[in-house]
Amino acid sequence: MLVRNVISRTFETLRSQVKSESCVLAVSDSPVIIWPNKDAYATPEEITPSTLCEDMHQWIQADEQESSGKKSSKKKSKKSSVASVINLRLMTEVTKPGPLSAPILTKTVLKSHFVSVTLPLDCVVCTGRSDTIKDACEQLIEALTHQLCEMEKVTLQNMKGMTLLVPEPVHFLLPEPKGLVTVVYPVGVPDSQLVAQRKELHQQFELPDDRPYFRRANAYHFPNEPYKDGYLRNPHLALTHPTLDNGKVYLVQGIYSYHHYMQDRVDDNGWGCAYRSLQTICSWFQQQGYVELPVPTHKEIQQALVDVGDKQASFVGSRQWIGSIEVQAVLSHLLGLTSKILFVSQGAELASKGRELANHFLTEGTPVMIGGGVLAHTILGVAWSETTGQIRYLILDPHYTGAEDLQVITDKGWCGWKGPDFWDQTAYYNLCLPQRPKVI
Amino acid sequence: MLTISIPSHLLRHRRATEICQCIFIFFWSADEPLDLSKLPAFLVEVLATVLLLLNIFHEIMGRGYIVQDDVEGYLSKLCEQKADPVTGLLIGQSSTQRDFVVMAIRTPQKEESAAAARNSVDKEWVTEHARQVSRMLPGGLSVVGVFIITDADAKDALTTLRQLLFAVENLISSEHLWDPADDDVTDCVTLHINPKTRKTVCRTFDIKDPKSVAKPADWKYQSGLCSSWATVSCSLNVDMLLPLPNNRTSTGNMEECLKEGLKAWAHQIESGLCLIDGKRLPEDSELTVGQRRNVRQTYTAQLLITTENKRLTDVIEQCGGSVSVTGAIHSRAYLHSNKPKARLAEKLLKRDVVSTVATRVQMMLEELLASDQESKGSCRDKQQKELFCLPHRIFCPLKVSGPLCVCDYQFSDEGLSEVTERLKEMLDIDAAEEDLDTRQEMTFEITGCDITPEPTQEKVEAPEHKKNYIGVAMATAVALLATAASMLYLNDI
Repeated sequence: MLVRNVISRTFETLRSQVKSESCVLAVSDSPVIIWPNKDAYATPEEITPSTLCEDMHQWIQADEQESSGKKSSKKKSKKSSVASVINLRLMTEVTKPGPLSAPILTKTVLKSHFVSVTLPLDCVVCTGRSDTIKDACEQLIEALTHQLCEMEKVTLQNMKGMTLLVPEPVHFLLPEPKGLVTVVYPVGVPDSQLVAQRKELHQQFELPDDRPYFRRANAYHFPNEPYKDGYLRNPHLALTHPTLDNGKVYLVQGIYSYHHYMQDRVDDNGWGCAYRSLQTICSWFQQQGYVELPVPTHKEIQQALVDVGDKQASFVGSRQWIGSIEVQAVLSHLLGLTSKILFVSQGAELASKGRELANHFLTEGTPVMIGGGVLAHTILGVAWSETTGQIRYLILDPHYTGAEDLQVITDKGWCGWKGPDFWDQTAYYNLCLPQRPKVI
Repeated sequence: MLTISIPSHLLRHRRATEICQCIFIFFWSADEPLDLSKLPAFLVEVLATVLLLLNIFHEIMGRGYIVQDDVEGYLSKLCEQKADPVTGLLIGQSSTQRDFVVMAIRTPQKEESAAAARNSVDKEWVTEHARQVSRMLPGGLSVVGVFIITDADAKDALTTLRQLLFAVENLISSEHLWDPADDDVTDCVTLHINPKTRKTVCRTFDIKDPKSVAKPADWKYQSGLCSSWATVSCSLNVDMLLPLPNNRTSTGNMEECLKEGLKAWAHQIESGLCLIDGKRLPEDSELTVGQRRNVRQTYTAQLLITTENKRLTDVIEQCGGSVSVTGAIHSRAYLHSNKPKARLAEKLLKRDVVSTVATRVQMMLEELLASDQESKGSCRDKQQKELFCLPHRIFCPLKVSGPLCVCDYQFSDEGLSEVTERLKEMLDIDAAEEDLDTRQEMTFEITGCDITPEPTQEKVEAPEHKKNYIGVAMATAVALLATAASMLYLNDI
């Protein structure tokens, strides 16, 4: 009991520090410093409390931006939907005007425990076009105080004897209109042990209870933070989608990585296309939080097939092709996923599968692997008109052998919209449609 | 109109100014551009060549020290004393641009010294004096060299001076809690004066290099040296909380813990953001931009700190207690008047902040150790809480015109007369009690009851929640609060 009181009191002190005049927000990469609790007084003096948030950008020295980010923001239509991020650092001002009382040294002799924890405060507030710095500061301080309360709750909940778990905030982007939400999780506790907490959150935010929104892998990736692994994410977002008469566009939901020939120093040119498509699918399930397994290598994929008895041991290390059935088997064995197989006896029939594909992207929203003839591809979406039957397929081509250059990939159609004549009209095709597990 | 601006480091060299004055009839100052349109072209060429050559010779010619003219009188008086040798310290500021000496202080007499000992130099005594003096200098002022007044052989004198210089500087820098910076000047000066002939020999040594050889240096007196020096100051809150190891809570252990804690705190201060007069100045900009020259300038600084970016190890450990230092201090640094850079102001002020706190803690510990506090406080099981008032800082202006002050620390049980005594003994300054500036810090009144710092409460209105986010989103990325506030005590149950 005493312990909990001490912890609560410490958090109370922290909260009052955040609300005090010595709390300072320093804008990263710029000379701007704001005192949020002094009516948003700021330096340099050109910045006043009524300066608009978006005007802050002129004070920030932009670093060299990722090529992908820069290219997409140049397109006029995209400009309004790209949110821009301003990073701030929380600092404490240690100087203050006098009068001062000289320091005291206090020595306490008392057997006790000493705890030192660095609390990783991380808040996000979203501001509108007409919001001023003063508004943003009020929201930020409110968010910081609230986060400290959440951290206090999580710390007290997860205290066992003398062990303490550090609380850490994670941001999630929920579907409109809820937007960005921050949840405090205890460090080191895996997702599997936080089911009850997630159930509560789903209820609180009225989210469906059959797909995850709050797993750690679902954490929102801020647009100004590059991915460290170097793969491109969602290259299809750089494309303009076709408009068909009475047609609608049905796309993959969530985030996937583009896997293709020659990546990871594996020369699979000519034989690895289905493997790459499978990797793209695995990356989707990992980034949506369904699995924690990293994307499997060619050898791991082959080993999985040997393990289920589908192939001989000599298969591992070979350059043999795989098809949709093998993809289904690997998804099941390595990731525990079920997939549906769709069979068309002739490529020409694919044009009539608009409804099924549209439904798939609506309900499951997972990337589809299609294999037939001598090629494998990934289908990321369809544009389909119910009335005219017109159809286009959004294809991610694993046969690309170049570098991760978004401009080249989109210009040359390695990720692009194709018509029904893209398919070999006489060959038969198998499609593997992975299904989302119904978990949160 | 043709103008040449002469690099100021050349003009501090006496020969350069002499040569230039030979060529030109009219007087000009180092900071103003030279109007050469009135001269024939060939003279301009000659001047340019001369300056180029001097630039090359600059390194060989060595540093030039500009010295407050009061020092000349002080050293003269020392020459007239019977004692030989007389040693002492030279106080001033060295920067990459210029070197200044504002004060000379003779080594105090040792009372019990025998007649024989009086004629030799006691290295330990000189270095201990230097250590004490160093504590009494605010930021920007430091021991830049040593002097000796003796009619001994010049070579012997130089050897002695060299030994003293290295001993003094090494001791002083070993007590620093900060790492040396790349732009620190490591040359220090030695001055040998022959009391009979009054001949002065001035040399510099690079104290970073133990094998350094003497380089010639210029020693030039000037009046009104410090009249337009700038002062940067701030008042700073200190809030440190450190654990004491289990079962070892003696003063000696407390000293260890405090040293470590001070080092970590010094790091925080060093990497903090510094605002001068409310603005964050670019590092290479000059402090005095836009100010009229020869007007006394004072600047107020603000320091913003954050916990280090790398996560400190989170720890839970058993401890035998704690020691905390809380309160506020006044910190000050002086800057020479020759276009000082903002970077220098920040560096000197931060160093003064760190050293004033460290000095006071050290002084308190020395008091405790001396007054036999050891016997108490170890192995007791009962809870004990002891409060010690750290001495507070008093400033004393130097007689030279200008803002310069030295400082001293007054314990709560001392009177001002003790301060003036120390100023006389250590710094050879005659100060009256009325001269002392005691207003910068006040003693904390201990009334015997528990002192808990009041957190400042501010009213926060609940903002309306705005849900639309078309446009701009602001994110606070990994913000860490000061560790002092996130420490918890768990009592053994």
